[in-house]
Amino acid sequence: MIGRMIAQNILRRPIRTVISVLAVAIEVGMVMLVVGLTHGMLHDSARRIGGLGADVMVQAPHASMFLGMTTAPLPIKLGDRFAQLNHVQAVTPVLFQFDSSGVSLIWGIDMESWNRVTGGFAYLRGGPFTGPYDVLVDDWYARQNHVRVGQTLHLLNHNFRVAGIVVHGKGSRLFIPLVTAEHLAEQQERASIFFIKCTNPGYTDDVIHSIKELLPNYTVLSVQEYMSLLTSNDLPALTDFITVLVAIAVMIGFLVIFLSMYTTIAERTREIGILKSLGATKGYIIELILREAGVLCLAGIIVGYAGTWAGRMLIYTTFPTVTVELTVRWAAWAALLALTGSLVGAFYPALRAAQLDPVDALAYE
Amino acid sequence: MEPLIATHDLKKVYRIGKVSVPALRGISINVQEGEFVAVVGPSGCGKSTLLHVLGGLTRPTSGKVLVDGNDLFGMSDAQRTRFRAHKIGFVFQRFNLLPTLTARDNILLAQQIGDGCNPHRFASVTAMLGIVDKLRYRPNEMSGGEQQRIAIARAIVCEPKILMADEPTGNLDSENSQIVLNMMRAVNREFRQTILMITHNPAAAAVADRIIRMRDGHVVSD
Repeated sequence: MIGRMIAQNILRRPIRTVISVLAVAIEVGMVMLVVGLTHGMLHDSARRIGGLGADVMVQAPHASMFLGMTTAPLPIKLGDRFAQLNHVQAVTPVLFQFDSSGVSLIWGIDMESWNRVTGGFAYLRGGPFTGPYDVLVDDWYARQNHVRVGQTLHLLNHNFRVAGIVVHGKGSRLFIPLVTAEHLAEQQERASIFFIKCTNPGYTDDVIHSIKELLPNYTVLSVQEYMSLLTSNDLPALTDFITVLVAIAVMIGFLVIFLSMYTTIAERTREIGILKSLGATKGYIIELILREAGVLCLAGIIVGYAGTWAGRMLIYTTFPTVTVELTVRWAAWAALLALTGSLVGAFYPALRAAQLDPVDALAYE
Repeated sequence: MEPLIATHDLKKVYRIGKVSVPALRGISINVQEGEFVAVVGPSGCGKSTLLHVLGGLTRPTSGKVLVDGNDLFGMSDAQRTRFRAHKIGFVFQRFNLLPTLTARDNILLAQQIGDGCNPHRFASVTAMLGIVDKLRYRPNEMSGGEQQRIAIARAIVCEPKILMADEPTGNLDSENSQIVLNMMRAVNREFRQTILMITHNPAAAAVADRIIRMRDGHVVSD
């Protein structure tokens, strides 16, 4: 019977129902997409850094672990000093350029040293740079954007010719010559990062130790350590960011359900008076309101899951190189947060309804 | 025989801001099991307040109410709510059916809340009140008389000791009023249902076995 009452109440107030369901759906979608987007991009980035074949990476002091946020403060001549260290086989500098028009991180590379560190690209079509405004794209980017060799791409406010399409998995999805990147960034002889290949991976710690002695304040990490940091589910740099966004999402769901149930109680004061005159206990009325909020929330969670999937499709269409990693763990967390927020939001209105005076409630117009 | 309802010097004073408005000024009445009692009087004489107090919906300012031997206001709120669900059924002037539920569900709701009600009673009550063919309709699809018969069915489906009716014919035309009164009379006779009916309509009161007249919060004749 409670189920039928809840169903009828939900169906009789379609606008309230739709708003409540959408609020919870937005909450769920926001949590899943934000977390999925950050983790997806980081994990994808980690995989591609791992695919370089380098053993050590060197950044400026206090550099961000998010490579896209790294500027170009390293003198390129440092590469010569790293190359002279024991057990270092090859060193290559990279200058990052962020292209906001396509939300892409473009790597400026020195092809000769890049090939020594990474073993070079595997070309599916075309070949290496032949001019300063040539660009290499990976197969994934090419497929998503229908890019062909010889085509012109507008990047960093300049036109680039697609010189080649390479197998994905090495650092970035877009590469331009280092000198061009330096010119566009107005950063001559500078790099964002150095990747170093050891003569044997077993010497990684020795090389890191040597660099730290040479440049005590610089950020020096093994590629393995960097990958494990990025693939951690509790990445310290992201925890605060995710917590704030999740809190905002939960507040949205909480407030909408609170207002929805509060106004519902005001509308249904007389009905609550009837239930009380029939002998309904406070517990019965609280249960009725909480179950109604729970049903709205469950519908919101389902719509939220569907919306998340649709949102991911939209992101993939709009920003093809972006990865959204949706996990069962965060789907469960999003549902749990939404349900908790909704029940907490509905509790005060439910308590207020349970405490209504039956005679006053019955007289309510 | 011990009365089913007994009140002793029942007083109820409403406070509206700094003003005290006495509604009951010392009511002492007894109602025996199986009686059909009408409480009559002009508007504002306190008869609805008396019904709310006897039904455990409103606490009196002073005095005592014994229902079936239990001190109604010696109980906790929760105990009184459970007591009301099992011992007292209400019929109101405005029917007070839940608009979202069908007639059947409105009646079954009382059985669910009254936990432990005899499930077979539903069929006998709906048949006796002649509403079997109305059970699938919602309140807004029925006439006032039909709605009030559903409300009576809901009130007595759990075999309460007392049926309390507050102006049950107040919203009905004379034909439907007579039908509802006949039904209440029949319920009283067939199920030996104790009924306490508030009305200002002398014709309605005439159906009862006994008439209590009130004025200005006092019982003036019994």
